[in-house]
Order: sequence, then structure tokens, then C-alpha cells
Amino acid sequence: MRVLRLGALATTWILAISGLLLVAQTASAIPPFARQTGLACEACHTLPPELTPFGRRFKLNGYTLTTRPPLVNDVDDHKRNTLWLTDLPGIAVLAQMNYSHYDRAPPDTGAPYPAHGQSDTYQFPDQFSLAYAGAVSDHVGAWLQLTYNGQAGGVGVDNIDIRYSDHTFDNKWVWGITANNYLTFQDVWNGIGSYTIPNFNTVSLATGGVGGTGTTGPILNTFGPGVVAGLGAYVFYNDSLYFELSEYHSAFNTGSSAGTPVAESTNLANNGGALDRFAPYARIAYERDWGYHSAEIGASALYANWIPSNGYISKQQQLAADAAGFTPSQTFNPGAVNQYTDLSIDWQYQYNGQHDIFGFLGHVTHERQQNSSQLVAATFTGSTPSGTAIYSNPTDTLTQFLVTAEYFRDRRYGGLVSFTRTTGTYDPLAYGGNGSPANQYETFELDYVPWLNVRFLLQYDAYQVVANNQSPFNLSNASFPNSPGFSNIKASNNNTWVLGLWMDY
Amino acid sequence: MKKFMIHSLTVTAIALTCTVVGSARAADISIPPDPGARDARTLVSFACSKCHGPSSNGISISPIFPILAGQNQVYLDTELKLLRQHGRSDPHARAFMWGISHALTDQQIAGLAEYFANLPGVSGQPSSKPELLAKGKDIYENGVPEPNKVVKCSQCHGEVGAGTNNVPRLQGQHKGYMALQLHYYHDKLRENILMQRNVKNITDDQIAAVVEYISTLTGVDPPDSPTPAPTDSPPAAP
Repeated sequence: MRVLRLGALATTWILAISGLLLVAQTASAIPPFARQTGLACEACHTLPPELTPFGRRFKLNGYTLTTRPPLVNDVDDHKRNTLWLTDLPGIAVLAQMNYSHYDRAPPDTGAPYPAHGQSDTYQFPDQFSLAYAGAVSDHVGAWLQLTYNGQAGGVGVDNIDIRYSDHTFDNKWVWGITANNYLTFQDVWNGIGSYTIPNFNTVSLATGGVGGTGTTGPILNTFGPGVVAGLGAYVFYNDSLYFELSEYHSAFNTGSSAGTPVAESTNLANNGGALDRFAPYARIAYERDWGYHSAEIGASALYANWIPSNGYISKQQQLAADAAGFTPSQTFNPGAVNQYTDLSIDWQYQYNGQHDIFGFLGHVTHERQQNSSQLVAATFTGSTPSGTAIYSNPTDTLTQFLVTAEYFRDRRYGGLVSFTRTTGTYDPLAYGGNGSPANQYETFELDYVPWLNVRFLLQYDAYQVVANNQSPFNLSNASFPNSPGFSNIKASNNNTWVLGLWMDY
Repeated sequence: MKKFMIHSLTVTAIALTCTVVGSARAADISIPPDPGARDARTLVSFACSKCHGPSSNGISISPIFPILAGQNQVYLDTELKLLRQHGRSDPHARAFMWGISHALTDQQIAGLAEYFANLPGVSGQPSSKPELLAKGKDIYENGVPEPNKVVKCSQCHGEVGAGTNNVPRLQGQHKGYMALQLHYYHDKLRENILMQRNVKNITDDQIAAVVEYISTLTGVDPPDSPTPAPTDSPPAAP
């Protein structure tokens, strides 16, 4: 029973993170950039959101390249620009719709078996975003996005990236500052982070599922809108060497007034936790372009102190715990803190020919999670809301491997195959069941692109391993007390067909 | 140790930030944001160099984009004006140059043409495909006889592919770019009645051979320069 309760706690945490991820994974082809530059989508994208070498430079230069004359252009006595307004505000609508079919309908946990949930899900829309994207001045550009998320069922602030950029006259050095709310959103390669390929937001388990848990992954992937905000500086030298140093803080979307303890505890619960102090992030990448080819290899490192919501105890909870006789007593703030170190290697090869596009990209991320001794079974001091430990081990590790191969012909037809595998240390208290966080699945996708801003796709996600493979359905680790006949659960029950539509205009 | 590391990172980040902000001032003053007010060198730095040579040297990396370094000035001027008025409507012109060139002034176009023409051009490289090279040389210098006539390239582009005035320089150009343009002319996707006629009967194999040969050309033309020929022209009025 205790394990089940802790499993549910862990599930809550994962659910919250997954929900945020869902909000964060959004469409990215931005017609305002085309309007601003006069360039077709193919100048910056092989197929959105994947960037071409030109697209990467456009982003690193702060989204500021324009061929449109300003509507207002004031200069002061020193010929310094005091105002620059474009005649065409960069407004975009981004929409994704999908229909999904699960291999097996989950049971209705509130009704006797064989009552079950639905196998078919219509997300109409799955996501609907309004965005401003483009140059704000000659050196400042912005991407500001507001999204209705069909799965999360609400409207929220989505991706934000505001950057200042400049370069030397010969373009040997490009440098900039980025303020963003999504770690890796600022990146220009697609092997890792927010624009990893595949990128379409589905209801399949890998992206959260309807009421599902999502798959376990490194914390690097979860620092999205509503969780963090960060500031970074970067340089890009000789069109090849990129170096970035950033730092991220907690940034709540709601109730973030200073000195409001209720907001803190509420937001901790909403976000699955919070960053303690700041998290430094370093990124280095080397790109070489030749002929139709472009190749990149990169590495990144993140260090984060994270307060897990299921390890946090509020003042009220502490008082209740004290009244119940929990000993020894704990202070409620800052709570227990886990230390995460994520090290990644990523790569991207791109062939962008006259007719054929081929890509091979991916990453390996290794995470080391040093759990707070207050939350580990052997050294537990009784400060969680549940009054029990939530980790079996002082240290957990997680390794995620993702590799994708893609091919498109004439930017009209194509597809991709992607393989993801995650493994890690067994921690029954953290993950439930036998304690394995492992998952493994493939994504197969066929694409038809009648116009560059309209994309139809048929996707199939095939799962071999999900969570601990003891209760691997998408309602992972949940019990089915009303469904004793719901047996022979396999990872492949999560297999999902997705028919999607992606439009940007 | 951990605290020291974090503090060091913070200091580094602040230092980087200050450096960037400090460097920004000069650029604000010297570069007006109105594209119509930029001189040629600034335009190259801000726009052209993204495709046609990363360090503003006019030597593109991807064969999707032509090498402009050393290209003939009159040809560049004419082409930019054609692109601005949508007189060239091949797919890549539509995708890239229609937008980029639409706001250019005549003065800017003249400046850009002069800038690229004065950059040192690229010479050809030896080929490792002797058979293809021989076939290409034959087409380039003698053309293909009737009934599937292809006009010899050297007639207008010169023996070493240097071109003249409004005839483009081919020497050192990307093979992929040249092959694509020949396909465009053959398929009548790029407007130029003369070139469309010249390569009306050309085959894929012949295109591969002739661009292989052109990619090996070096040097300068002998004193008896080639006859100038009409350049790309807007579609004839109906």
C-alpha cells in the first residue's frame, strides 16, 4: 500500500512535468519570418522545425534579418536609432490537430470491468498558438508565443525567446544574449532539446498521453515555460564554433508575488517542483558545412538543484506532522533539494540537396541525480507530505539515447524513423514496481507537405519497454481495482497511430 | 568547491554579458536599420553573406547558391534587377532572391554588382573522371550536332568560362548550381530565350559531362574574347 501511494506520488510529479512538456512542445515554422525576410520557408528549414545552416544563422543573428523598410525610424542627434518599427508586425497562427488510436483502450478505473476508456482521441485542436516573431529593432528580435493546449485544456504562456545579437563586419564573430523561458529553446541544432526530431505533439505515451504518464527522461527536457526563465550569452565563431553559457531560475506562471508563501507551495505542486537558486548551463557545438552537407557535433552540461514537490513540506503540513508526532521536526523551507547533473552529446548530419533531404541526428544524455538525504529511505527524516521516503537510493542515474533518420523528397513527401531508449538505476520508491525507469520505443512517420506551411502526417509509435514493464500501460503504475479482468498488459498496448495536421500561417 | 564553481560561472556570464552590451553601442551608430539606406558592403555583411559566402567573400558553401566572387559586373547588375522585378522565376529565385532583392534600389544593386565583381574569383579544380571530362570538353567546345543540337558553350562563355559583360562567368562555379540552371533552362523554368534554345535537346548525361568539364576550367581568355550574347531577359510580352 505504501509503495502504491508513493508510486502515485511519483506519478503526480511525472504527470505535472509531462503536462508542462506538452505545453512546451509546439509548432515552430513561423510565417512572419518569411514575411519579414521575403524568403521562402525552405531558406531556413528543411522541413519545419528543423533548421538549415541559413536558418541557424538567422536565429543566431537575433531574428533581425529583414528586407522590409521600417515604418518609423527615428534617430537622435548622434545618428543613433531611437525607434525602429516594422510596417508588418510578425503575427502568426500555429495549429496542430490530430486523431490518435491506441492499441488497447485503458480500463475505466471508476467502473466495473469491462467498462473502458476510449481508444480513439480527437485533438481538435491539439495546439493552437498565437505568436509574435521577428525583429523588434535592428539588433533585437523576439519570439513570444501564447498557446491553447488541447491536452492540458488551457491557454498559457508558451515559448519566449528575446535576443540581442550583433556580429563583426566580416561575420567571423556573431554574438548575442538570449532571455528565454525554455532551456534548449535557444539552440539552433535539432539533435537535442525542444526541437528534437520528431517534433509533432501527439497524445502518444512518449509525449504524455491522455491521462498517461509520459516516459521517464532527464530533467533537462522539463525546464520549459512556466518552470524556468533564463539568461544566456553566446558566441558563434567562423561559422563553425558555438559556445553558450546560460543560467536558469524558477519562473512560475501564476502567483509569483514575492513574499507569498501560499504561491510558493502552490506553484511547487503545479510544476512538480522548483529550481533552488539557479542552474548553470553550458553548451558547445562545432558545425562544418560543405557542399550540400552540414554536420554538427555538440555537448552540453546542466547542473540543477531541484526541490521536488513530493519532497516539499509546507508550513501547514509541517504543523500537521508535528501534531501527529513526526520526529525529528523539519523546517519547511527550503525543503529537500536534489542535485542533478546532466551531460549530453548531440549530433546532426543534414544533406540538403536540390531534391533530396536526408538527416541523421540524435543525442545521448546521462543524468546523475543526487537525492536529498531527507528523502532517501535509509536516511529518511520524515519530512515529506506522505510521511514516507520517496527514493530508495542516495544516487540515481538515467541515460537517454535518441537517434532519428529522416528523408524527404522535393519537400513534399518523406518520413522518418526514430528510436528512443532510456535506462537507469532501479529505484522502487521513485518509479514504483520493480523500480526500473526504462523505456524503449520507435516512432515511424510518413509526411505529405502539399504546401510548405501545411503538413499531414501519419505516425506510428511502437513501444517495447515502458516504465518497469510490470504495469506498463499508459496509466502506468496505477492499479485497476475495478478491473480484475484487465490482464496481460504489455508495453505494446501503448502503441499508437496518429494522424496529424500541422498548419502555420 | 561547488559554490566556487557556480560563482565563477556567474562572473563569467556577467562578464560576457557586459562585453556584448558594450560592443553593441558602436554598431547602433554605424548601421542604420533601414535596408534601403544600407550601402553595398553592409548589405553583403547583413544579408548576402548568409548564403553567398560566410565571410562576405562571395564564395558560397552550398551549391544551392552560386559563387558570386569575380562574377561579371554587368551580368550581376542585370540579374539582380531581373530578380527584383520577378523576371527570373526559377524555383530558387522565387524562394530566395525575390524576397531578398525586392527592396533594393538601383544604386544598391550597382554597388553590390561592383562589390562581387571585384572579389577574387575561383578557379576550377582537376577532375578525377577523365571520360566524363572528355565528353564535357567536346560539348563545351563543339556542341552537339543536329538533330539533337546543343550550341557550344564556349561561343559565349569563352574558352576558359570567364564570360564577359552580361555573359556570366562559369569558371569555378559549383557543379550542382550549374547543372540545376541547365535543367531550369531545359525545362523552361528560368527565363532566357537564348539559353532555352541552346540547351533544348541537352540530356542529363550531357549536363553532367559539361559541368564536369567547366568545373576544371582555369586561367583567362586569350585576347580574342568571345562574342557577347544576350543575357537573361524578362518573359516576352504576350
